[in-house]
Amino acid sequence: METKLLEIINTVLENRTNEKLTSLRPDMNLRYDIGFDSLDLAELTVRIEAEYDIDIFEEGIVNTIGEIFEKLNRK
Amino acid sequence: MNILITGISKGLGLETSELLLKNGCTVYGISRTKTEELNELMLKYPNELKWLQYDLGDIERIRQIIFKDWIGLNTPIHGLVNNAAIAYDDIITNLNLDLLEKMYRVNVFAPMMLTKFVIRQMLIHKESCSIVHLSSISVHTGYKGLSMYASTKGALEAFSKNTAREWGEIGVRSNCLVAGFMETEMSSALSDNQKNRIYQRTSLKKPVDLNSVAETILFLVSNKAKSITGQNIHVDNGTI
Ligand SMILES: NC(=O)c1ccc[n+]([C@@H]2O[C@H](COP(=O)([O-])OP(=O)(O)OC[C@H]3O[C@@H](n4cnc5c(N)ncnc54)[C@H](OP(=O)(O)O)[C@@H]3O)[C@@H](O)[C@H]2O)c1
Repeated sequence: METKLLEIINTVLENRTNEKLTSLRPDMNLRYDIGFDSLDLAELTVRIEAEYDIDIFEEGIVNTIGEIFEKLNRK
Repeated sequence: MNILITGISKGLGLETSELLLKNGCTVYGISRTKTEELNELMLKYPNELKWLQYDLGDIERIRQIIFKDWIGLNTPIHGLVNNAAIAYDDIITNLNLDLLEKMYRVNVFAPMMLTKFVIRQMLIHKESCSIVHLSSISVHTGYKGLSMYASTKGALEAFSKNTAREWGEIGVRSNCLVAGFMETEMSSALSDNQKNRIYQRTSLKKPVDLNSVAETILFLVSNKAKSITGQNIHVDNGTI
């Protein structure tokens, strides 16, 4: 799951930079550490939903990679 | 181009679908009934016209049934035409909440949810997309009995303008086509006298031509309109 999520995050990152992440840490903040804005987060949500059929933002804001893992694990 | 259009069984939706098909679009069309005319069109374009029987009052299942099961998340959508609507007309003192809610579901909530899922789909495919909402001249010129109906279209106009602002940078355009009075089933209950009074308020003094509206919709979804967004385009015989 971690490699798949890393791949998805790097796809969204391609919107603004050529630099890719090599690994994910649970404490990484999507906005401040990874640099996503609200439109990137929307794209991230849709790509995760297409893969796992879970809308991570449905029940409120998600801030960190760890919180995404939590939502995906709950399924 | 793949175009999702609602309300294709008759009236303007049928006319627009035919025009889109003639111009090489693939049409994903929705309505509750399959009329004789729609059936003929389906026979003429067996591959390009895809039809789903769906009641847009059923908003909760839009994502599952329309986007996942029918269109499929892998199909890019290049245009959305929110055409289906119902007109509940009465004077305000008779306002019935159930009827008002039903109209809002079809005329406002369903178009908003369709927009949501079209934009979400677009985020995956990264292809530009044009949204056209059908509005009405009654938003801009008052008519007795149309307050509730006009309010649904006013909501769409506001939604459209803000959609344009919010999503323009990723290639979404959103416009409203403000139609004047057209001779369709929606307006068939009016008497000749009432119709004539409406025509007298237009510059051209006659009903709006369906084909002229359909051609404008085709233009707005096409690349020719690529610099037009956040606008209300009036096709109303000059109601001034
Ligand atoms: N006619 C006018 O004078 C006029 C003026 C200004 C603006 N407009 C707008 O132009 C658009 C087209 O109007 P029109 O005159 O062509 O109306 P119409 O002849 O009454 O056709 C309405 C279409 O919407 C569909 N529809 C209605 N409720 C639906 C539902 N719950 N689920 C799915 N489909 C539904 C109908 O199909 P089914 O019944 O088969 O479901 C039909 O195909 C509307 O947005 C209308 O508000 C019309």
